[in-house]
Amino acid sequence: MDIILGIKLNDSVLIATSKAVTRGISVLKASDDKTRNLGDHSAMAFTGESGDTVQFAEYVQANLKLFSVRQNYELSPKAMASFVRKELATSIRSRKPFQVNVLIGGCDINKETPETSLYWIDYLGTNVELPYAAHGYAAFYALSLLDRHYKPDLNEEEGIKLLQLCNKELSTRMPIDFKGLRVKVINSQGVKEYDDLTAL
Amino acid sequence: MNSIADSFYSNKAEESIDNEFISKKLSLTPSLAMPPISKPTAFLRAHTDDNTNPDCKIKIAHGTTTLAFRFKEGIVVAVDSRATAGNWVASQTVKKVIEINPFLLGTLAGGAADCQYWETWLGTQCRLHELRNKERISVAAASKILANLVYNYKGMGLSMGTMVCGYTKKEGPTIYYVDSDGTRLKGDIFCVGSGQTFAYGVLDSNWHWDLTLEEALELGKRSILAATHRDAYSGGSINLYHVTEQGWKYYGNHDVGTLFWETKAKEGSFNNIVS
Amino acid sequence: MSNTIASEYGHTDTSVPIEHRFNPYSDNGGTILGIAGEDFAVLAGDTRHTSGYSINSRFQPKIMDLGDDLVMSANGFSADGDALIRSFQQQLTWYHFNNQNKKLRPSSAARLIQHLLYGHRFFPYYVHTIIAGLDEEGKGAIYSFDPVGSYEREQCRAGGAAASLIMPFLDNQVNFKNQYDPATGQARLKTYLKLDEVLNLVRDAFTSATERHIEVGDCLQIKIITKEGVREEFYPLKRD
Repeated sequence: MDIILGIKLNDSVLIATSKAVTRGISVLKASDDKTRNLGDHSAMAFTGESGDTVQFAEYVQANLKLFSVRQNYELSPKAMASFVRKELATSIRSRKPFQVNVLIGGCDINKETPETSLYWIDYLGTNVELPYAAHGYAAFYALSLLDRHYKPDLNEEEGIKLLQLCNKELSTRMPIDFKGLRVKVINSQGVKEYDDLTAL
Repeated sequence: MNSIADSFYSNKAEESIDNEFISKKLSLTPSLAMPPISKPTAFLRAHTDDNTNPDCKIKIAHGTTTLAFRFKEGIVVAVDSRATAGNWVASQTVKKVIEINPFLLGTLAGGAADCQYWETWLGTQCRLHELRNKERISVAAASKILANLVYNYKGMGLSMGTMVCGYTKKEGPTIYYVDSDGTRLKGDIFCVGSGQTFAYGVLDSNWHWDLTLEEALELGKRSILAATHRDAYSGGSINLYHVTEQGWKYYGNHDVGTLFWETKAKEGSFNNIVS
Repeated sequence: MSNTIASEYGHTDTSVPIEHRFNPYSDNGGTILGIAGEDFAVLAGDTRHTSGYSINSRFQPKIMDLGDDLVMSANGFSADGDALIRSFQQQLTWYHFNNQNKKLRPSSAARLIQHLLYGHRFFPYYVHTIIAGLDEEGKGAIYSFDPVGSYEREQCRAGGAAASLIMPFLDNQVNFKNQYDPATGQARLKTYLKLDEVLNLVRDAFTSATERHIEVGDCLQIKIITKEGVREEFYPLKRD
């Protein structure tokens, strides 16, 4: 029942993830971080089978880091998404697949004008570029809200407002307490982290 | 000293990358025998898992309450001592805290053998780290060795829920929760096992950062007592530990049989029991 | 709660059929019992060997002398038990070759047995194992193991078919559990039992288990470890 949301804005991308880690009927942690930075201008949020999630995210993170060190060049968010998609597509055809869904938000600073993008990738290896996206049960509540209120060319402040709207709906309707949302803002300056959405 | 480390060191880079955790050289682990059939995991489940197969032959010990929490003066670790196999109480005197080395403790919940075996194995890995790096291993690194190991065996039927507790200069008092599906979490308070909810109930409502050592030990003990009272799979006696920069210290074994009545009389609690 | 993503969204088979054809296990009954004293240890077991309701043998002793003043028994599926003990003995031989016949301590033997058992973690030996010996201080030592190698040093332990009949008796008579002084209400203090007291307890445990368990009987084998070495005694049990 993890929540991961992503919203693309005019010059940034927001990624919000729930902070709870739940095992059985106990909440084991209320300050979890379900994201990893894939580079200076991109981050990946993940959800799925426990154990697989972090292993996969750190595997991807390490490989992209290795690439950037070797080539002295950081992959574009689009290329990173393609890499992650291919890893999951290979994995699903293996004996023990990674059961992980991810969102990748990034800003391509090598374009003439920096370009933000958001990618939705599932454990089967489906990769779609979207203006807003979500995985899991949260999608059922958040997507209709975003369908109604999302507009292209939102600025960061409006984007946060939209996230807060989603948070309010999720808090009232989700059957378990997800302990709030952690937010990452990705733009041409890099990745900013916020411990809680309400602090913004 | 270096010759000892050398015998475990592989100079072929490729060799250590693939399979570094199951490779014999590094792990000191015997290769694990597999049944000669197509689905070894289904075989193991059919013969050992008492949820899917209640009249299976091999009963593996399960059921526990363990806890660890951080506070001003370090970490308190408290555990019960009962081992059960189905409804049979296999032992009332189990050591559920594994002394990995003088600075690291591991707790035992789930499969008794899995925890005991891999946590002593973790002890050897930590020692090798010391020999190679001339420095004590961090709690983060130690717990990750264990997490990566169990992740290698994911889906094969290992069963463990453990807390790796330690104190290093750079980390301070640190607790990592590691379980057999590969989860690894850093945190202040963890309760693990069939009695975890009962322990959380008492622990969460009385915990604060500025607890004195005496209060903290009492709270750890009281939380396990609560669990042994409500969870039939927990019981026996309580083992208490305190972890500081000087390493861990044992704070004794407390029999639940007598502790319960003492506590009831002292607190005026447990009012569901009248006699 | 362990739903995977696949099971939440797609149609997948969640229940895997259990493979029934390959069943390499059986249960040969019997019971074993170990008690540690101050300067001795005993390991006892009956000698009946069964499968189902059939008695295969009335005299198949299963307490093995390993040398180095150690005795061992692996009760349950006797083929697995024999295999375990043989691989232990082989390892012990190598240990002697490599270490100038150095005597193996019970604590080291216990750790070795853990590795042997855990080596079969995914294809377990179906046995409950107990070893007995004297520790470095000359005190009696009993170590008991579950089928996959978790172990503990104890004062006493019963294993096998009638373990659930004998163990509560031992708790009461060896560790004085639930014994209180009627006058003061104080718990009876723990003291070491003498060898003849222990042997009486062992015989009582087995005659009683023989009465109430069909897989126990025929003959009682007791191995006694003292600083003089290992000695063996046999007593008849009811053969019905």
